[in-house]
Amino acid sequence: MKKSNVDIYQKRINRQYLTLLFTLFFVVITLIAGSFYFRFYRAGITRRAEGNEYDQYYVMITDNYKSDFWQSVYRSALETAKEHGIYVDLLGENLSGDYSCEELMRMAIASKVDGIIVYASEAVSMTNLIDEAVKNGIPVVTLYGDSTHSDRLSFVGVGGYSVGKLYGKQIVNIIKDNRRQELLESETIGDRTQIQIAVLANADTLDAGQNIIISSMQDTIRQENATDSEFEVSIVTVDNTNAFAVEESIRDIFMQEEVPDVIVALNELNTVCAYQAVVDYNMVGDVNVLGYYDSEEIIKAIDRGVIYATVAIDTDQLGTYSVQALMDYYEFGNTSEYYTADITLINKENVGDFKKKEEQDE
Amino acid sequence: MNKLLNSSLQTKIISVCVFANMIIFVVNLFLLLGINSMSNDMDMVYQDNRALNELTKALDEVQDSMTLYLSSKTSDSLENYYISAQRLSNLAGDLDDKITDLSYNRMERNIKYMTGNYLSEVEQTIDTKRGRNVEKYRAYYEKSTELYKDIKAYLTSLNLELFVSNSENFSTLITAFRYFEVVAVAVTFLVMIGNVIIITKFVKTMIMPLKKLSDSADEVADGNFDIVLPTAHYNDEVGIVIGAFNKMVISIKDYIEKLRESLEKEKDMQEKELTMEAHLKDAQLKYLKAQINPHFLFNTLNAGAQLAMMEGADRTYEYVQTVADFFRYNVKNREDTVKVREEVTLVDNYIRILNVRFSGDIGYDKQVDERLLEHEMPSMILQPIVENAVNHGIREMAGEGRILLKVYREDDRLCISVIDNGKGMDSKTIEEILSGTRNPDESRYDNNGIGMDNVISRLRLFAGRDDVINIKSDGEDKGCEIKLSLPLEEK
Repeated sequence: MKKSNVDIYQKRINRQYLTLLFTLFFVVITLIAGSFYFRFYRAGITRRAEGNEYDQYYVMITDNYKSDFWQSVYRSALETAKEHGIYVDLLGENLSGDYSCEELMRMAIASKVDGIIVYASEAVSMTNLIDEAVKNGIPVVTLYGDSTHSDRLSFVGVGGYSVGKLYGKQIVNIIKDNRRQELLESETIGDRTQIQIAVLANADTLDAGQNIIISSMQDTIRQENATDSEFEVSIVTVDNTNAFAVEESIRDIFMQEEVPDVIVALNELNTVCAYQAVVDYNMVGDVNVLGYYDSEEIIKAIDRGVIYATVAIDTDQLGTYSVQALMDYYEFGNTSEYYTADITLINKENVGDFKKKEEQDE
Repeated sequence: MNKLLNSSLQTKIISVCVFANMIIFVVNLFLLLGINSMSNDMDMVYQDNRALNELTKALDEVQDSMTLYLSSKTSDSLENYYISAQRLSNLAGDLDDKITDLSYNRMERNIKYMTGNYLSEVEQTIDTKRGRNVEKYRAYYEKSTELYKDIKAYLTSLNLELFVSNSENFSTLITAFRYFEVVAVAVTFLVMIGNVIIITKFVKTMIMPLKKLSDSADEVADGNFDIVLPTAHYNDEVGIVIGAFNKMVISIKDYIEKLRESLEKEKDMQEKELTMEAHLKDAQLKYLKAQINPHFLFNTLNAGAQLAMMEGADRTYEYVQTVADFFRYNVKNREDTVKVREEVTLVDNYIRILNVRFSGDIGYDKQVDERLLEHEMPSMILQPIVENAVNHGIREMAGEGRILLKVYREDDRLCISVIDNGKGMDSKTIEEILSGTRNPDESRYDNNGIGMDNVISRLRLFAGRDDVINIKSDGEDKGCEIKLSLPLEEK
C-alpha cells in the first residue's frame, strides 16, 4: 500500500519531467520552425522582385507603341528573343512622355543597347542617328520603314510592290463593278465618271515604300486595261506630325466637294480613321476604303462591308525577322539585307475564314 | 533536478515561475525579432526610390554646376561640378545593369549607361569650354542637356514604376505584418496557456504530499490512528512537516497503547476482588446450608409425628406430617419445572399448616380440572402467590377469609386463578406489582423468602410473554384475583 503510494508519486514526478521536456522541446521546435517559416516567407516576398535574366538587350522603336500592329510585332519579336536569352524592349512604353522615333533613338544609343530595331524613315535626322548608332557599335535593323541611305544592318518589312499590286487589283475590281453599273445606267460614254482614288500618305516620311506601293498600284491598274479616264490617283498627304492631326486630315477629305470613291490607307490608324469618317458622313457604299492591317476593328468593318478590303501583314514574321537579323549579326557578323514578311488580302469573301482562323489561334 | 526537488518549497515555486517567465521572454524575443526584421523590410521598400531621388539630385547638381560654369566660369562652379560629377558617377555605378523581365531593371540599366554617356558629354563640354572652343562647347552643351532631359524622363518613369511595384510590395508586407501580428498574439496566448498548465501541474505535484498529509491528519483527528503514514519524498518543508507528523502519530499511538495496558491491569484487579467476594458469599451459603440438614429436619419431624401417633393425638400427627411434606417439597424441588399437581399439593399443605396455626379461619376451595394436573409449570409459584393473598388480603380483613384455587383450560392456555375475598388492591398497587417496582417488606418474619417480583419474572421467563400474570381487583375490600395463563404444551 505504502509502496504503491510512493510509486504514484514517483510516476507523477516522472510525468512532470516529461511534460517539462516536452514543453521545452515543443517551444524550441516551434521557435525554430517559426523562424524558418518566417525567413522563407520573407524571402518569398523579396524574391518576387527578381525575374529571368537575359544576356542581350535590344530595343524596338516605333512611332506609336500603342497600336495593335506594333504591339503584335513586338510580341512576336519578344517571344523569339526570349527563346535566345535576349530581351526586347518596346522603347517609350515605360516612359511617361511622348517621344518621337528620333528621340527614342538617341536614348537607345546613350543606353548602349545591344541592338536597335527601328521604324525608320528616309529623313536625314534618322539616317544620321542610325549611322551614329552603328558607329557606337550598335547594329540597327529598320523595321517596316526603311532608311536606305543609312548604315543599317538590314531592313525587315513588306514588299511595297506586292502591296501595291494587291491594292491595284482591288481597285480594278472596283472599277469593273463601276463599269458594269454604268453600263446599265448611263447611255453615253461621256456620262461615265472617273473613279477618284485617294491614297493617304504620311507627310513626314519621305518613304520610299509608300511611293513603291503607289506606283505599283498604278501599274497594276493600267495593266488591267483601265484607261486614265476611268481613274485618277491622287495622293492625300496626311499630317501626322502631331497627335490627332491624322484624324483631322482625313475628315478634311470628306469636307471637300468631291469625295474620292476609293480611299487607300497605308497604315492602321489611317484605316481606322477613314472607316470611321465614312460611317460618320454616311457614305458607306459610296466610298470604298482599302485598309491596312488586320486589327479586330478593321476585320469587323470588313464583315460589315464598310471597308472594302485590307492587307493583312504577317506581324509575327516582322518581329521574328527583325530579332533574327540582329542575332545573325552577333553570330555571323552579317545578315541578309532584306527580310520580307508575307501579306494577305482580306475582303468580304475570305473574312469569314480569317475570323475562324483567328479564333482557332486563340 | 533532484537537487532542485530537494531544495525548499520557496525555491521550487520560484524556479517554476522563473522557468515559465523565461519561456515567455524567449518567445517574446523571437516575436520582437520578427517584428523588427519586418519593419526593416518596410523601411527598405522605398529605399530604391530614395536612391533614385539622390541620383536625380546629383544629376541636377551636375547639370546646374555645368551650366553655371559655362555661363560664369567660376572656379567654385567648376569645383562643384567635379564633386557632383564624382558623386553622380558613384551613384550611377551602384546601379544594376542586369537585363530582366522586369521593366524597372532594364530602365535602371539604361539610366546607368545614359548617365555614363551624359557624364562624358558634360566632361567634353567643360573641356571645350576651358579650351574656349565656342562652337564645340555649345554643341556639346546641347547634346548633354538633351541627355539630361532624357535621363530625367527616364528617372521619373522609373521612379513611378518602382513606386508602383514597391507599393505592391508594401501592401504585401503590411498584409504579412498583420498576419504576423495575429500569429504573435496566438503564440503568446498559447504560451500563456502552456505556462498556466505547467505551473498548475508543478504546484499540484509539490502540494500533493501536503494534501496527503492533511488527509492523514484529518483521519488522525477523527481518532483513526491506523493510517498509512504519508511518505516524505524530498527534503523540503513539506518533507520535514511530514516527518514530524509521522513521529507524532507514532508516539501518540504508543502513549495510547500504554494507557490501555494500565487500564486493563486495573480492571483485572477489580474483577479479582469481586470473585473473591462471591466466593466468600458462596462459602457462607454453603455453611448455612450445611447447618440445615434436611434429613435431620425430616427425621425430627417424623419422630414427632410417630410420637403423636403413639400418644393417639391424630391431629398433631397429621399436622406434623403436613409440615414435613411442605418442607420436603421446598428442599426437594431444585428443578425448574414441576407438575401442576405438585404445586397444587403444596398449596393444600400450606393452607392446612396455616389453618392449624391460625385455628382454621381460612376457607379454602378448589375447582381443579384433573386433566390439566399433569402439565408442567415453573416450581415455587403458586405457594408464594397464595401466601401473598393470605398475608396481604385475608389477614388484614375482618371476617372469614376465603381462598379459591381454580385450574382450568382457556383455549390453548392453562389457566390458574387464585381468588381471595380479602382487602383487594388499588390499580396503582397492581401496576407496581406487575412492573416489579413495589418493595416488599423484607423483614416480615413469616415470609417464605420468595417475593412476588421473583415469581413474576420467573413466570415471564417461562412463558416468554408479559401477560402471563394478571391481577384483577374491584377495589377496596372487594377481593383480588391473580390469574396465571400458561402455555399449554402438547404432550
